[in-house]
Amino acid sequence: MTVKVIQRDGVNVFQVNGEINISTSPELRKSFETQPSKKIVVDLEKVSYIDSSGLATLVEILKKTKMQGGSLGLSGLSEKVRSLFEITKLDKLFSIHPTLDAAVEKVR
Amino acid sequence: MSSSHHERKPVISVKNLVKSFGGRRILNGVTLDILEGETFVIMGGSGCGKSTFLRHLIGSLRPDSGEVWMFGEDIAKADEDRMHEIRKKFGMLFQSGGLFDSMSVGDNIALPLREHTKLDDSIIRIMVRMKLELVGLSGFEDLMPSQLSGGMKKRVGLARAIALDPKIVFYDEPTAGLDPVMTGVVDKLTIDLTKQLGITSVVVTHDMNSVFRIADRIVMLHKGEVLQIGTPEEIRHAKDPIIQQFINGDPEGPISFLQRGEGYLDKLTA
Repeated sequence: MTVKVIQRDGVNVFQVNGEINISTSPELRKSFETQPSKKIVVDLEKVSYIDSSGLATLVEILKKTKMQGGSLGLSGLSEKVRSLFEITKLDKLFSIHPTLDAAVEKVR
Repeated sequence: MSSSHHERKPVISVKNLVKSFGGRRILNGVTLDILEGETFVIMGGSGCGKSTFLRHLIGSLRPDSGEVWMFGEDIAKADEDRMHEIRKKFGMLFQSGGLFDSMSVGDNIALPLREHTKLDDSIIRIMVRMKLELVGLSGFEDLMPSQLSGGMKKRVGLARAIALDPKIVFYDEPTAGLDPVMTGVVDKLTIDLTKQLGITSVVVTHDMNSVFRIADRIVMLHKGEVLQIGTPEEIRHAKDPIIQQFINGDPEGPISFLQRGEGYLDKLTA
């Protein structure tokens, strides 16, 4: 798994590539910590699988962002990844957008 | 029930498994495949070898001969260090729930995460809440096991079994001692988790209602051998008198429960 952070309209976009699992999710968590922002989009378009440690990592960063009065959006969820959000009802917690552009537009 | 199970690949392949205890042959050459994403039920009467078989699948017993292929390796030949690694990839729901009474519900579920991963505790706490939601026990993390009913304990045990997002979950008599409603709840959870999370479930049970409710395929073991493997429909209509006796619960038939007769009087006076 790799994480690339780019700036779009004042929003920190975290582009994740690969599988988010118990071995890789600490890395994702670290990248949120090293590049903090009140406006975050996590682009999951190139994520093939996310396990519960990955979901928990996203929940944690959502919580932190909200506590700081910021906002966080997700984009590019494949059907499989989306179903993993739905099973744990996290689809109701996150602001999920079909495209990166739509997510940035909403968050900025 | 899936009609496509023939196309699925095996996640567990057992080949010619043999095990004896004290000269008594418990498993006598069991060969079978368990397929990806299915609920596979192992049934049979007391002493048929089903518990011994399950213990080989989870690596707590070594066969006298034969192979148990799982995750691309023969775990029958794995040493204890290797087995420790393999155990991270499957979950186990014990008959009693297997909870530690001195630990809260949340700490029980967190245990495998703390033992096997380096995840931060704040992440683990979120994961525990998610697992509890999956088994329908949201908000129970601070309770102690002694404050729970039998059915709730089973569900906490299930939440712990799936803590590490395993590919396979083994269930040992998951509905033993539960009332019919709670049995239905645990059965439904088994089905939901198998289908939603794409888990392969391997269930040892002799609860006939559960068997036909949850199984994609069933193996009937008898005297340490595979009597038949089939879908619930195939097993229900099996011609084999042993299977018919078992699913109908007849006291009379080819399965003998009462040891009488020969040698008894001789032994008394020997």
